[in-house]
Amino acid sequence: MAKAEKKKLSGRKRDERVAAYIFVAPAVILLIAFLVVPMIYTVYFSGFKYQIMRPDAMKFIGLENYQKLFSDKNFWLALKNTVYFTVIVVPCQCVLALALALLVSKKFRGVAVFRTMYFAPQLTSMVVISVLWSVLYNANPNTGLINSILVSLGMSPIKFLSDASTAMNSIIFMSAWQGAGYQMMIFLAGLQGIPRDQYEAASVDGATKFKQFLYITIPGLKGTIKYVIMITMIQAMKLFTQPYIMTQGGPKNSTKTLVYYIYTQGFQKGNFGYACSIAAVFFVIVVCMSMAMKKVTAATD
Amino acid sequence: MKKTISLAMAAALAVSGAATTVPVFADDVTNITIWSPTDRESIEAWWKEKISEWNEEHPEIQVSREAIDRSDSYAYDNKIATAVTSNDLPDIFYVDGPQVSYYAANGITVPLDDYFTDEDKADFVKSSMTQNTYDGKLYAVGATESSVAFYYNKDYLKECGVDTDDLDSRTLENPLTTDEVAEIAEKCTTDDYVGTHIIMDHGEGLPYALEPLYLSAGKDYISEDGKEADGYVNSEEAVNTTAWLADLIAKGYANVEPITDEFLNGACATMIGGSWEIATLEQNADFDWGVTYYPVNAETKKAVSPCGDWAAAISKDCENADAAGEFLAWLMNTDNVASYAAAIAKPATRSSAYETEAMAEYKEGARALIVDQLENTAVPRPRTPSYATFSAAYAEAMTNIFSDAASNEEADTDYIQSEFDTVVDTFTEDYETYYAE
Amino acid sequence: MKKSMRFSNTFGKFMFYFGNIIIGIIFVSPLIWMISASLKPEAKIFANMDSLTTFLPVQASLSNYAEVFSRLNMPLVFKNTLLYIALILVLDLLVNSMCGYALAKFEFKGKGAVLNLVIALMVLPMEAIMLPLYIEMSQLGWVNTLAALVIPFVAKCFSIYMFRQFFCDVPDDLIEAAAIDGCSPIRTFFQIVMPISKTVYATVFILDFVAHWNDFMWPFLVMTGEDKRTIQLAVQSFFGTQPVHYSAIMAALVVSAIPMIIMFIFMQKYYVEGIASSGIKG
Repeated sequence: MAKAEKKKLSGRKRDERVAAYIFVAPAVILLIAFLVVPMIYTVYFSGFKYQIMRPDAMKFIGLENYQKLFSDKNFWLALKNTVYFTVIVVPCQCVLALALALLVSKKFRGVAVFRTMYFAPQLTSMVVISVLWSVLYNANPNTGLINSILVSLGMSPIKFLSDASTAMNSIIFMSAWQGAGYQMMIFLAGLQGIPRDQYEAASVDGATKFKQFLYITIPGLKGTIKYVIMITMIQAMKLFTQPYIMTQGGPKNSTKTLVYYIYTQGFQKGNFGYACSIAAVFFVIVVCMSMAMKKVTAATD
Repeated sequence: MKKTISLAMAAALAVSGAATTVPVFADDVTNITIWSPTDRESIEAWWKEKISEWNEEHPEIQVSREAIDRSDSYAYDNKIATAVTSNDLPDIFYVDGPQVSYYAANGITVPLDDYFTDEDKADFVKSSMTQNTYDGKLYAVGATESSVAFYYNKDYLKECGVDTDDLDSRTLENPLTTDEVAEIAEKCTTDDYVGTHIIMDHGEGLPYALEPLYLSAGKDYISEDGKEADGYVNSEEAVNTTAWLADLIAKGYANVEPITDEFLNGACATMIGGSWEIATLEQNADFDWGVTYYPVNAETKKAVSPCGDWAAAISKDCENADAAGEFLAWLMNTDNVASYAAAIAKPATRSSAYETEAMAEYKEGARALIVDQLENTAVPRPRTPSYATFSAAYAEAMTNIFSDAASNEEADTDYIQSEFDTVVDTFTEDYETYYAE
Repeated sequence: MKKSMRFSNTFGKFMFYFGNIIIGIIFVSPLIWMISASLKPEAKIFANMDSLTTFLPVQASLSNYAEVFSRLNMPLVFKNTLLYIALILVLDLLVNSMCGYALAKFEFKGKGAVLNLVIALMVLPMEAIMLPLYIEMSQLGWVNTLAALVIPFVAKCFSIYMFRQFFCDVPDDLIEAAAIDGCSPIRTFFQIVMPISKTVYATVFILDFVAHWNDFMWPFLVMTGEDKRTIQLAVQSFFGTQPVHYSAIMAALVVSAIPMIIMFIFMQKYYVEGIASSGIKG
């Protein structure tokens, strides 16, 4: 290699480094200012006895909030519920989203309509969805559509939301249905990145659709799948709106999640210092989980 | 050096002034800002009219109001709580009745006693005055009240063989008892109808609408001084009252998940419902309906009814409380209270308001019954700074109890007791952490 | 032989559409219920919830819409909302894609740390930081200004990570070719990489647009006053009245969903013009 060319190459490396810092700086500065700083505040407040309406009477109590937290059975219950929700909903939602994306990835007459339909639960307000599903799930066959169908089929009605054993599963089912459109869009974007000629070559070779899916689509989507699983997991861990509107964490705490617990402790009951300590522990747990996932997926490369 | 500091202070002042929309520079003119929840068109129009009326007559005290778009009352409390952290509160803000003690105990609001004459105070219904008083001082004043009564579908009850003329003729001396309610509910429950409707919003609606049953049985949720829950909400009386409610659910006489407008749509025969239902039923019901007094405990026969509504309070961040107080006294005069109550279709808080033209429809029928309850049997919710915590814990316990009753098809008093003991623990912890001396 | 194949093709096509329609209806049902409820009188909304007829409008009229438009200054609400979301999205797409690109294609000191920071911050729930963030806004004097709505939400970890994931798939040959042609790394990004990555930009645009369009709590906390109302505040203002009029709420929700649906239909067409169609991969 000629000397001049080597010099050019190292010049490029330098250019790249400068460019990298220019590119990264705005995002990093904003993230630090508006996420890291509030988070530090949160950790700071977690060391205080702090009634939300009386910031001037804040009192430093060290690790007392954390001591209380680890012996608070509601916290452990909320953690258990959150993990249960995540473990079940992530695979369901991702598989559903991928299936939907495959249905509408190719161009055909009316594809825009079907894409819009599958994305519709995301376009409808969560308030409407929760109101509607509360009524669909209603325990009384005279007022609940699903139970009226069950009864007409000769089955006994199910108390979907008012029985502790079914409430969380009912929320999981609804959430997977509601949320799939979000991941569908990401899969769709990923599917556009798989070159069409690969499929054409495979079908000339006589590979079945299923084989094409297995040997072209899945490997082609590898990066997307990893990303989707990670963000679905993180979003699932943050479950709040559905239990807040549909069940208020009940019955018998069966749908109480960590973020719901943070919100009700901090805002409804005003135990802001305590809520901050839950938030800090929540943060540590989920960061550990996502870092572990990153390690696991990196190992599969 | 001194100059730098004062410059910095001026800058800080300018920044904080811009943030709270209260310009502090204008000479001699006091600006008063009000926050209250966004309401129906008639109320929004009422505000505009009243404020321009005041501003014209009082160039030295200029008032403006911001409509707060709350999704639920918790969201509204969140907005107050966040504003508190940075001293961004407006001069006057509206508070829901049972929260008055919470704000007062935390020093968010200031006493209003100086701005209302004794004559004024005597004119307000006692329930409203009591609800808005904390530690002997008046912290909020409201124009409207609310109540709860027992509604029944006359057409359907007649079909079931219930004597509706008897229900129509009930008075405060001779109200329905819980036994009679259970009997009617049993008679009217069929495949297509449930007998009655218990409010189930998983929130404030539960302690609000059900409290009279407990009071009638002899024990309130919390002690009179607002300090103790032990021996009150977990007392034998409270457990038995709750068991009676859970029994209605267990036997299928009431839905564990009642849907909105269940009574209006002819899916249930009776309901314990709010005074605001009167207007809805008048406009929409396609059946003949009646309303009677809140049911009483079968043994004590003591008549009690719920009450409480939003009221105005002056915040700690108000720089000219006297001006705000002067405005508030005017805002809550008889004519304004009457026109506000008429516009919002709720009963007024001032007895004199009922003499005005605007409130003429309260002279008879369902509305007169509501006023009768307010003047004679209304008891406000417990006045304790830990009310919000109690309310959330109670609503959670009731959700669990009803769910348990529905699943096991019977009311379990041991379970009710254990749930209410938890409510006591939650309340006590909050009270002792933040308010006990 | 030929005939039967055409038949099976037509049949397959029929089954494909049939399946899509059935699944589509299941997904679009809440939207249908919302539209039908918005046309009903209040008393009929929760009637007949035990049968599918609840999805059909009965006694249909536009009076609920009349109420929405007479109560709210809709043009102003749309203007407020679109303005702040447009500002966020322009900055969002720029700042986050730049960061994502650097994480995907550049070598620099601290890269691993930045990536870990992005992943860690993804986890933060808004509910846990909204009060400290408000305090920060108040200290900056941004409460009740556009800055409080826009600036804290420009940098988004989800978007950065998504951009990074997709830029990783952009072939290095392409970037090297540009470099050999004398294109600086910054110019390469804006002139070569950006134009072929429309799909990922469209995805981030759609997902973030929807998230902000539906956001209630933050605008509620930092904005006060009718002239500053955003769409969710306007819709939620209908809950302030007792009794709650679901008919008016449904009409308000339908009105609020229309711009989102138009946006979606418009943006989804970028999903065929991705990296694949320009044929640079493989």
